[in-house]
Amino acid sequence: MESDTVLYISQAMHGLAYGMVLFLVSAGLTLIFGMMGILNIAHASFFMLGAYFCYQVLSMTGNFWVSLIVAPVIVGLLGVLCERYLLRKLHAYGHVGELLLTVGIGMVILGSVKIFWGTESLPVTVPQILKGLVKLGGLEYPIYRLFIIALALVILAIMGLILYKTRLGMIVRGAVSDAEMVNALGINVPAVFMFVFGFGTWLAGVGGVAVAPILTVYPGLSDQVGMDAFVVVVTAGFGSLKGAFIVSIIFGLLSSFGVQFVPKLAPVLMFGFMAIVLALKPAGIFGETE
Amino acid sequence: MKALRFVVAVVVLCILSLFLIPQARAGMDAFDVNKMADMSDFDPNHPVIPTGDTIKIALVASFSGPAATVAQMYWACATFVAHDINKRGGILVDGKRKKIQLMKADHMSKPAQTKKVCERMVLHEKVNFLIGTNGSNNMKVINQVAKKYKVIAQDFTALSDELYNATNFTKYSFMTVPSCEVVGKALAYYYGKIRRKEKKFYILCQDYLFGHSMAKGFKRGLELYFPEAEIVGEDYHKLFLKDFAPYLEKIKASGAEVIYTGDWIPDAENFLVQARQMGITLPVANLFLNEPNMLHRVGIAGTNRLVNFSMCGAAEGSAFPTADQVKYYHKWHDQWKKWKAPYNTYLYEHGWSASGSMGSYIQQIYWLMSVIKRAGSTDPDKIIDVWEGDSYRDVFNTVYYMRPSDHKVVADYYVQIYGPPEEQKACFNIPPYYWFKGCSNPIKIYRIPALRCAPPMDTKMARCKGRDIWGNLIK
Repeated sequence: MESDTVLYISQAMHGLAYGMVLFLVSAGLTLIFGMMGILNIAHASFFMLGAYFCYQVLSMTGNFWVSLIVAPVIVGLLGVLCERYLLRKLHAYGHVGELLLTVGIGMVILGSVKIFWGTESLPVTVPQILKGLVKLGGLEYPIYRLFIIALALVILAIMGLILYKTRLGMIVRGAVSDAEMVNALGINVPAVFMFVFGFGTWLAGVGGVAVAPILTVYPGLSDQVGMDAFVVVVTAGFGSLKGAFIVSIIFGLLSSFGVQFVPKLAPVLMFGFMAIVLALKPAGIFGETE
Repeated sequence: MKALRFVVAVVVLCILSLFLIPQARAGMDAFDVNKMADMSDFDPNHPVIPTGDTIKIALVASFSGPAATVAQMYWACATFVAHDINKRGGILVDGKRKKIQLMKADHMSKPAQTKKVCERMVLHEKVNFLIGTNGSNNMKVINQVAKKYKVIAQDFTALSDELYNATNFTKYSFMTVPSCEVVGKALAYYYGKIRRKEKKFYILCQDYLFGHSMAKGFKRGLELYFPEAEIVGEDYHKLFLKDFAPYLEKIKASGAEVIYTGDWIPDAENFLVQARQMGITLPVANLFLNEPNMLHRVGIAGTNRLVNFSMCGAAEGSAFPTADQVKYYHKWHDQWKKWKAPYNTYLYEHGWSASGSMGSYIQQIYWLMSVIKRAGSTDPDKIIDVWEGDSYRDVFNTVYYMRPSDHKVVADYYVQIYGPPEEQKACFNIPPYYWFKGCSNPIKIYRIPALRCAPPMDTKMARCKGRDIWGNLIK
């Protein structure tokens, strides 16, 4: 392959990998919003918590795969507890209170992280089997980034199966479009809410574990990813999983090719894209106007 | 009559000497490890902070927020110095011995908060000195407050040259840290005049004032010392970038032989980790890729061939060439073994560490103490009188000179070449004969003369016109 072709393919792959990370974080955010109408400001903090639990489990077991399973489950359980004992009590009083509560939860998570793990960055290394580069023609690509892409696709497939092939998925989809009607049918909607919130935070936890070996695990980890995930959800349309997936990939590619061709504009391309989308379709690409 | 003249002459000489001797002494002071107090009870987790009639110093830094680690590090350095000075009985100012009272002033990395906290420190706490800080934007605010309320500020960490240009200069602030251009010139000098091998450079810095200043300094240095060098790419990325892969792919395709970066953590860490994961093993000329915890994460191979500008260090050769320097090393290191979190990590192990940053902060604060002592007062004008044109010799025998025209420090600095633990013996010449077992660290140190890496001077300022790099009038 010619060197330019290799370069562009590499950039596309990097864009895809970053897009998949964005998807892992934004999927949970959009799911929670679509289902419960809550804009979970603490979502990125759960993502950060996933990375910290990954470090903790890894340092206790020495096994990345155990941490990939255990850390998101702990984050998901924390999400369940937050929904059950904090958010549910406020649900009857409207979304403003819930929104403020999620801000508070985010701050508590940040404070707790500093107390338990300190402020310094923590090391999480790439598992041995995923270290190194894979050669595809003239292209050399890090195996771990391929793993991130594969992981996100597997999670997307599992989510698709649950949402579109199971009764639970049917209930969740029903609740997303009309929670009151689902409630009237005798479904325990609060329990569904709790499940969805836990699942959404579990997804954030998976994202946190996935990025821990390539990013610095420190108390500021949530800031930038949180903002990017929020922009994805707004652009895609609140509550649209399909939209979150497509827009995440678009943003990933915009980021990579932006750096390649217009580096000075690269940081603002996604915001420009969002502005254009919202100007044309205020509810987002896949959002539905009420 | 003759006898009377003789007596008058003796009296006049005695009176003159009362003025002249302190003035002469004020010209040069030196750090003396043998005058240090017993530091065996020093613990940054439990500093003894005196109250009452003290010399009040506000350490302005990000004690909370994402950059809290930085303030934590400054605190360890400042409390170390204060502990030593206080155990010696304090400093004689205005006819009274006073101890150093350090106060935390948290700016949360926000300029608006910096203004608020500095004003509170000056107006309510009545501090005599403001010292700091991380972030040139925050340092700029500190300097503005210092100017407004006529309080002395010491910049011991913010590196932007622009802080002391015609627009921002204030006589109340002193930059004791080397500026961006100093760093850039020193690294360019190393590649152009010492190493003379790699010629293709790629500049990757953060997209704000500091990053651009770092790049400007390096380009200026290449122009001066390595005109045949080629800059094959130049990018500025946003702060706290997560994914460096697109930039690294460009670097790979550019044919660069060296990457130059001014990035600080977390960007520096993400950049290095991701570069090595992508198989990019190019040497990286840098300023902040020296944090030991991060170096351990990247490992020995990944940190090999780093080329680090050091703010503080020994002369060429071993890191501890004299018994005094070994003694000083133990003043810190022996206590470190007893400390608990967060001060029990690699970052604090060596005190001034291989990196030089912490060592430099400590020595810069000692310089401030020395200036207060020689001024014999906390009065800002007396401090300015002593500090302008002052020279101070640090524990490594590096002489810092405070350029009177723009208050920027001029000194020799160092470039360190990193290598694996088994090669570190040449540098770390005391047991266990390596800085760290789990990562590369300095194996060779090169001294860059002050003349070759002097900070720029803004000649738009009246006080800088027609002056040389030492601030002297050119005849």
